[in-house]
Amino acid sequence: MSRAATAYQVPPTPPHVRRGRVLAISLAVLSVVLLVVVLATMDLPTWQRVKAGLDRTMPPLWRGFTNPDPEVFPLAFRSMLQTLFMAVLGTLLGGLLAFGLSFLAARNLLGGTLQAGPGKALLVAIRTFPEILLAIIFVAAAGPGPTAGIMAMGIHSIGFLGKIFSDVIEGIDQGPMEAIRASGGNGLHVFLYAVVPQVLPEFASNVLYRFEINLRAATILGLVGAGGIGGPLIQRLQFRRWDEISMFLIVIVGFIVVVDFLSSTIRRRLV
Amino acid sequence: MAPEATTAVAVPRPPLVGRLRSLLTLGIVAAVVVVSFRQTDFDLLALFTGAADFWKFFGRLVPPLSEVGTDWGKYLPQLAKPLIETLQIAYVGTFFGTLLAMPLIFLASATTALDPVSMWVARVLLTILRSIPDLLWAAILVPILVVGPLPGAVALSLFSIGVLAKLGSETVEAIDPGPVEALRAAGAGRLATIIYAVVPQVAATMVSYILYVFEINVRASVIIGYVGAGGIGFTLQNRLNFFDYTGVGLIIVVIFAVVLVIDGLSVWARSRLI
Amino acid sequence: MSHIEFREVEVTYKTGLRALKGVNLTIPRGQFLVVVGLSGAGKSTLIRTVNNLVVPSKGSVHVGGVDVTAARGRQLRQARSDIGMIFQTFNLVKRSSVLRNVLSGRLGDVPGWRGVLGAFPREDVAYAHECLARVGIPEKAFVRADALSGGQQQRVGIARALAQKPSVMLADEPVASLDPPTSHAVMSDLKRIAREDGITTIVNLHFIDMAREYADRIIGMRDGLVVFDGTPEEATDKAFEEIYGRPIDREKDLRGA
Repeated sequence: MSRAATAYQVPPTPPHVRRGRVLAISLAVLSVVLLVVVLATMDLPTWQRVKAGLDRTMPPLWRGFTNPDPEVFPLAFRSMLQTLFMAVLGTLLGGLLAFGLSFLAARNLLGGTLQAGPGKALLVAIRTFPEILLAIIFVAAAGPGPTAGIMAMGIHSIGFLGKIFSDVIEGIDQGPMEAIRASGGNGLHVFLYAVVPQVLPEFASNVLYRFEINLRAATILGLVGAGGIGGPLIQRLQFRRWDEISMFLIVIVGFIVVVDFLSSTIRRRLV
Repeated sequence: MAPEATTAVAVPRPPLVGRLRSLLTLGIVAAVVVVSFRQTDFDLLALFTGAADFWKFFGRLVPPLSEVGTDWGKYLPQLAKPLIETLQIAYVGTFFGTLLAMPLIFLASATTALDPVSMWVARVLLTILRSIPDLLWAAILVPILVVGPLPGAVALSLFSIGVLAKLGSETVEAIDPGPVEALRAAGAGRLATIIYAVVPQVAATMVSYILYVFEINVRASVIIGYVGAGGIGFTLQNRLNFFDYTGVGLIIVVIFAVVLVIDGLSVWARSRLI
Repeated sequence: MSHIEFREVEVTYKTGLRALKGVNLTIPRGQFLVVVGLSGAGKSTLIRTVNNLVVPSKGSVHVGGVDVTAARGRQLRQARSDIGMIFQTFNLVKRSSVLRNVLSGRLGDVPGWRGVLGAFPREDVAYAHECLARVGIPEKAFVRADALSGGQQQRVGIARALAQKPSVMLADEPVASLDPPTSHAVMSDLKRIAREDGITTIVNLHFIDMAREYADRIIGMRDGLVVFDGTPEEATDKAFEEIYGRPIDREKDLRGA
């Protein structure tokens, strides 16, 4: 090397960099401190109790999970199928209603942000309400069974799909709308020929995505009595029939994985 | 008027394949819907009677307006502890979920994986974690661990790992591979390459995902108490069993408010990030 | 004493494409070598066999006596940290600061934990600043990398390679994304630094005049084989027509518009 080894002066760290580092470090420290505080104040059982519980449950659980009970497969399959159908109806219900509601929340169709306000607010309210809570209410009101679950899923899906649909509508190309109006078409013509064709593929894709989510939700709703595989499952959980539980879980995961896969394949071809 | 030429141009028919495919799709969808109706004994009438029942029930949830203040006001402080526990569960679940998801994200992404076997194992693990809904995890863990917030926190952690790792690995796989190549060429080790070339590209997006997961966890934690996993859901189930509909009504309102606030904060924070 | 040696190097990609069909080259220490040829002639592949980013299907590449082709793991990383590389697309981490990008060049030399924690020794940080000064942009140290112009970003790339304290420098089309005046500024910086530090340098270029102006020696590649090996004086237009396999297009092949 031909360069002289002169020590180079390191320039001082500029303030904005320093501030950035301090911020990052303090955030990290804060979150850990918060964790410690939270863990200390939570009603956590003592390690002995946990260990005792584990010692009691793990051996039969391990035995059960390594030997799923094939006899219970038909029941699990049928229950999961019913769960699937619940999800279909819930998504359909939600999708149709959302379709209608979304147009009432789209700024470009109603003529402005103010006009779309109430529609959007309604969708937010529906979306924020926890789905399972809806199911609990429906079960308390109309009795247990898949109907409660379907209603809960349907209403919650309106919130989710309604927002996405209205976003899609707001994102369409205004050109074709203008063209049809210019050639003399009325509102309905504009709707059918300019709006619907643009939004349909995106709508369909989102409905499928919502179906994936609803299938997962439907498996839970049974836990609170709203039909589907959750019902038989929670009974077995209470009696700790691990061999049957593991078969149920296999069926559940299997269905979800397959549906996810089919759904993503179809959605890719749509958009 | 000149007569029209009698040789009309044949109108081309739309391609057969396309029409068959749309008809087929429509047919399948219709069939599935019909089967669903029959298998779940759901009829549209139920929709309307259900709606009527719903409104009746709703009426019982809200005490007469003159007494809303006192009835609910008396009950509100009792909800403070379960509510805090709910948020605690959500926080712990998000914290450990994030921590444990990090190594899995890098193991499961094609761009940063160690070898094909560990990548495949990581992906299978994550699929399982993600396919079991959070409430189901809680229901499974309650008989195993002691009833209370512990199974709730563990259940949310497991579910969060699945969700976060899926989102994270999609982001990691979409990065610009250039800087990664440059650091490999300079002789940097695998971990250092990840920290210097991958993390800066995905950090902001990851933080927004973490906030999203916290939001999901709060929604879940308000309910998992229903199956015994701690938080305000437990109180809800309790009140329902005692037919204390006034209490139930208040709890529902409180849950709704909490979720609304957290959602709003999360959306605001995430918009500041991107 | 040869610094870099290519022995019967052949590269066949999984798709069946034979990118290099038997290359033998000896490069003495300190030489500034320019490789020219059409796209697809094998230039990128050739340069990547030197730091084993592309593994030869046959033959081997030796750098300073070390068989780079056979090196794995720790040994490979050590060999690579002695070889600096700059890229056509710069390959900087856009959201990180310029300084952090340059310091990442030291990752091959510092102990693992220092790199992971970002706790580089003082002398390394000082050296990183010095490298930035040598390429003429010391004041940009704390700026985000993507806030710089193309020419400045490539300079950061050079500084990063320099920070490795390499004895070899590889440049894969370093100026293809830059306008002509900036390209010449970057090339002359590269040549100056290479001469000052005695670094053996291999540069892929596709502009003929630029090759003639900066090279100590020119290698012409065509279809995976070396078809020309000589001094800039010997690299006449006629010789280039051989390399390209077609008459020279004054517009495209010389300086570029």
